[in-house]
Amino acid sequence: MSGPHKPGDLIGDRYEIRADVGEGGMQFVYAAYDRLIGRMVALKTPKNRSATKRFKRSAVVAAKVNHPNIAKTLDYVRGEGESRYLIEELIEGQDLQDALLRRSGCLDPFSTAKVFHYLARGVAAAHHAGVVHRDLKPTNVMVVGGYSLTEIKVTDFGIAKMADEELAEAAEGGTSTMTTSQTAVGALPYMAPEAIETPRAVGPPADIWSIGAMMFHLLTGAPPFGSGLAAVRKILEATPPPMPSFLTSNPQFVPLAREIADIVLLCLQKDPSLRPTADDIVERCGRLCYSLDQRAEGTVHRIDYGAYGFISCDGPDVFFHTSSVYGPRAAQVGASVVFASYLGGGAYRAHPVVVVDPPPTAA
Amino acid sequence: MRTLPARYVPSGPTARGGMSSIVFCEDSILERRVAVKFLQDATHGRRMDDELAALLKMRSKHVVQIYDICRFPDDCIGIIQEFVDGPDLLESFAPPTSTNAYYKQLWQIAAGITDIHAVDVIHRDIKPNNMKIDPEGVIKIFDFGLARDTGPAAATVGFVGTPGFAAPELYATTATFTPAVDVYAFGSTALFLATGTLPPELAAFPPRPSPAGYFGAIGLGLGAEVIQLLDACLAPVPAARPPMSAVRDALARHLLFNMHQALVVFRGQPSYLNSTNRNIALDLPTVGRVEISYDGLMFRVTAVTGEVFINNSIVSAGQSLPGCCVVALGSQARRNNERAFITFDLSHPEIVL
Repeated sequence: MSGPHKPGDLIGDRYEIRADVGEGGMQFVYAAYDRLIGRMVALKTPKNRSATKRFKRSAVVAAKVNHPNIAKTLDYVRGEGESRYLIEELIEGQDLQDALLRRSGCLDPFSTAKVFHYLARGVAAAHHAGVVHRDLKPTNVMVVGGYSLTEIKVTDFGIAKMADEELAEAAEGGTSTMTTSQTAVGALPYMAPEAIETPRAVGPPADIWSIGAMMFHLLTGAPPFGSGLAAVRKILEATPPPMPSFLTSNPQFVPLAREIADIVLLCLQKDPSLRPTADDIVERCGRLCYSLDQRAEGTVHRIDYGAYGFISCDGPDVFFHTSSVYGPRAAQVGASVVFASYLGGGAYRAHPVVVVDPPPTAA
Repeated sequence: MRTLPARYVPSGPTARGGMSSIVFCEDSILERRVAVKFLQDATHGRRMDDELAALLKMRSKHVVQIYDICRFPDDCIGIIQEFVDGPDLLESFAPPTSTNAYYKQLWQIAAGITDIHAVDVIHRDIKPNNMKIDPEGVIKIFDFGLARDTGPAAATVGFVGTPGFAAPELYATTATFTPAVDVYAFGSTALFLATGTLPPELAAFPPRPSPAGYFGAIGLGLGAEVIQLLDACLAPVPAARPPMSAVRDALARHLLFNMHQALVVFRGQPSYLNSTNRNIALDLPTVGRVEISYDGLMFRVTAVTGEVFINNSIVSAGQSLPGCCVVALGSQARRNNERAFITFDLSHPEIVL
């Protein structure tokens, strides 16, 4: 266990610490049991005691948002001395980075459309409540169900105010603090130009830029302006990033991928006033044609004539045509793949198919 | 009076509801207004806990949020709820300004009830004065009759003021609540929201809904499918009422008339099927041919010849498409290069309130 608590500790006469579930840049996170209601919750406490005041503000702000695509703020507890706790809905999943991007780099356009649509809905609800996240990045998006994307929730609205302050300080300190602040490094590839130039005066459009940058990453496999120090200059220039060739080479995916790319580029406009609102994005995403099918994982075990092949997985083999493969990596024999399958006559038929790294083996 | 935790500072008058009393407070920790409803847990138990747990977990745009609970020694529970600053649908009644405005009202209510049923809870007291309009114009359902088993015949105390919303079966001496009770009450609510009143036979004890139905005559230009479903909500026999989700989905289709879209990719050629391009023919000569049309509400197969399969099932003219699917031309007896697979993906248009 890291941080100040161990299993069995009781917070606010009510929340019993059960496990350590990770550590963010600015906070310790525990799974706790709510004795009053009989449910599991996430309990967060800041690492930096001087941030206490902003932590409270964050809780108050985050509690105003109610949406299925936002992790719910449930309570705020004042502990002994300076210790403070934010109680949030516990999401039994992983963040977007760990759940999806680490192994696949990019998602198929159907999955990207779904994440885009759901994230925009959640952020729209927040913006309607007058709440700006300010730190949207893949590690702040929680995913349940892995590649099937059963649930998608934006989290850490609770630390938005706190992160905001640290990000502002980092941006004002110039590139040296930008690359040493853990919070800033993770956020940088998705930060709007105005969040770097005038960090204390960012509004809802900064969230829109961040959504656009994240969706560019999901669709293409990399953030639009790179990462690290080099990204700063490119973000400030905001020249529309080029789309990789695999996006426009496969006619099976071109229409949807191009429509997603069009919305992304609207979000990545330097002038915040030109970007769409979250409501606009929700409406645009509503016109995208995408399926919501479950995803499965398997291994390509045969390819015939370079045109079609079969995937072995739990259950009968699944047929696929190479035109159903999306992304920069080709499906070769032995490749791990994530796919949706349809009843195709004879064999199940996979579409779309994305090549991923092999699943991590148990150490 | 039971003592609330100090964080809740009473800020307004105490209201007496049908089954309980309500205190309006300011939550001084999360700095928001809340309504605390006191409820006697007559069942002493598990079912009330299960229902509260379900409601605490639910996130619905159209149901007032339950934030938290507190327990008191005398089996009383205080339910800390979202305070909605707005009028209820009874006091704010005005005749619908358009068919779409009426659909939007009903869709929101049906969506809220569907969300409640999806977590295995029955509301038990659906009526216009248990729904409020928030400052953004969004309808929110509140005031659950939690874990209650008794109908109006058994508990006259709980049933004053708004007759006409309790389903006929609740007047039997041994009444049981099922989701169909909420569906009936939704039907009455829908009729009230169209006309501002209920016909005498529905307000009777017990109500005697007319088999002729009501919604064809309210003069709002409703679609035939909607009229049929709303009338079915008021069916005297619970089993004849539709599931709430079916009503919600039909209302959504009508609200989204001509706004759906399908992307069809056939041999690398994309085409869109929508309100400007309503028909498509997929043809693999000598093997199979299918025509699909969009009528503003649904995508349907309008003609079929030869070997045509949708998700591996045989297709017949008139059937609607099951959402996103794969259309195969050519049976599995043929070789792969003699068959064609066409992806058919649907849009998910939003209802903008």
